[in-house]
Amino acid sequence: MTDFPPPAPSLDSMTPPSSPPQAPAPGSMPAAPTPPAAPDAPPAPGSPTDTVTPGLPPPPAPEPWPPADSTVVVAGVSKAFGSLVAVSDVTFAVRPGVTALLGPNGAGKSTLIRLICGLTPPSTGSVWVAGGDPRTDSAARGRLGLVPQQDGVFEREKALDVVTLAATLSGLDDARYRAAHALATVELDPEMARPVGTFSKGMRQRVKIAQAIVHDPTVVVLDEPLNGLDPRQRRHMIELFQRLGDQGRTVIVSSHVLEEVERFGSHVVVVAKGRLAAQGNYHAIRALMDDQPLRIRIRCTRAREVAAFLVADGCIVGCNIVDDGELEVTTTDARTFRRRVAVACRAHQSRLEEVVPLDDDLESVFRYLVGMGP
Amino acid sequence: MSDSMTPTPAAPASAADPFAHYRGIGTPHPLIGLYRLLLREQLTRGRVLLTGVMSALAILVTALIAREGGPFQIDDAIGFLWFFGLGLSVPIISLVLASSSLGQLVEDETLVYLWIRPTPRWMLALAAWLAPATVAVPFTAVPLAVAAFVGTSGDLGHTWAVGVSVVLAALAYTAIFTLLGLLVRRSLIWGMLYLFIWELFVARVGEGAARLSINTYPSSVLSRMTDVDLPRAERLMSAGIIVPLVVAAVAVALTAWRLDRSTVA
Repeated sequence: MTDFPPPAPSLDSMTPPSSPPQAPAPGSMPAAPTPPAAPDAPPAPGSPTDTVTPGLPPPPAPEPWPPADSTVVVAGVSKAFGSLVAVSDVTFAVRPGVTALLGPNGAGKSTLIRLICGLTPPSTGSVWVAGGDPRTDSAARGRLGLVPQQDGVFEREKALDVVTLAATLSGLDDARYRAAHALATVELDPEMARPVGTFSKGMRQRVKIAQAIVHDPTVVVLDEPLNGLDPRQRRHMIELFQRLGDQGRTVIVSSHVLEEVERFGSHVVVVAKGRLAAQGNYHAIRALMDDQPLRIRIRCTRAREVAAFLVADGCIVGCNIVDDGELEVTTTDARTFRRRVAVACRAHQSRLEEVVPLDDDLESVFRYLVGMGP
Repeated sequence: MSDSMTPTPAAPASAADPFAHYRGIGTPHPLIGLYRLLLREQLTRGRVLLTGVMSALAILVTALIAREGGPFQIDDAIGFLWFFGLGLSVPIISLVLASSSLGQLVEDETLVYLWIRPTPRWMLALAAWLAPATVAVPFTAVPLAVAAFVGTSGDLGHTWAVGVSVVLAALAYTAIFTLLGLLVRRSLIWGMLYLFIWELFVARVGEGAARLSINTYPSSVLSRMTDVDLPRAERLMSAGIIVPLVVAAVAVALTAWRLDRSTVA
């Protein structure tokens, strides 16, 4: 269980270079810097060592970074608060669609989101969002919608007034009309006369989302937006995020809940301890996880007999009998294990009560990605 | 539920559109939108009670001075309004209102909803000053002018002088304390320390310090318009009018500058 891959595994072609690329010019797409070659990478085409071997095709040209359709580029960004480094040398690019910003509590997600929205300046590096630096370029901020993590919305205002103000400050015509539609989109009645202060947490969350989308932004950033929502609202919100992504917007959703992220979409950016741990396809991360030894807790009667069966069967590589009703096993083949555990219980007339993967939580993903071990 | 995020503004309102009645309602200028929001946030029961109590106290005391009468009635009334009105009531009411204008948004972390918008910073700073000033100016100038009218047995010249000096003081103090609310947490405490240590103590002891006091300028206007000698109120009339307005303008500009560079929670 200690054989972990190195940090920041490459999951797709968008995995960042190891050093910050050149900062993009304000208001334009950033220049595509040449990512430094990894020690074992082939030489770049055109370099002095790039000798053409007759009969062999030339090596494929590396994809330019950041990709041409990037709407958010975070380049070599670090952020320190005094001696505390919250974000350290993070580089990634985000394309239109839904991207999950994933990390355990305290990983630096919220700081990263604040950097992306220009709410705080980076100590080093640069951020480019929808055509400019959101900290200095008001036009870029106008193409950005933010759902902050904090609960507070203007408590004494009505929801329609809060969202109308957001539309007004974004310079929209028919601000009230657009606000009514944005509230309806998040399933809130615009006619509600109650002030926001009397709303439940879920309703406030929806007001925050409505004010973030009322001006039809190119990039929508949501910091833990599903907190406080009931399952039906969560489902609706996830559908909304997916719809926004399908419409060509860039939607960045931070979360520390792995199961939520699975439903957002396929692209994830994983941060841990202020560093970029990985980015790429969610399913690629899970597939890598599946290749690792998986610890599973089994609650059943006649646990010793079941354990003996599984060991003899060869579908587990380790076993710890907690007591006669509980086992912790380690397997490298979860799929086979799932089939065989039922057979084992049937063979020994054991009543199977629970099968729980102990490594299938987000903390385990991060432990795996940062190579710390369980 | 609408499938599209936001409707196209130019699209004709269909019969099925449940929000068609919101169409055509004029969108206010962003400055007006900000101002209205911040003004509504100002008017809490506690603040209205504070201004009411201080105003009532001023009128009550000047009424007692008028009842006593005597050759120094006007000097006594103006002296009291200088000490209590310009020295305590106006700065304290301005502090309570203005320090919360942006300070409250910083405390409850709602500033981000305004900051993230493409609205120019000066607009937010101006609205954040205008909102408390809109409350502070009438809620201090009117009762203190009434107090002056009562205390001077209906002298309109003195009443006018008190009103003008109070307006100047309130404009300057609200701008300063709006900035203070953005700069520091617990701005009410810092503001009180400033008032009681600097404005009411240090600035009344030394001439040099008095020049750096807000209070001395509207006090000078009051002194010159009423011909009543007041301590540390020897500035020119023009300085007494211009300096508070310049202080207000500079404070609003600094607020905008600070907003542009602040880290927002």
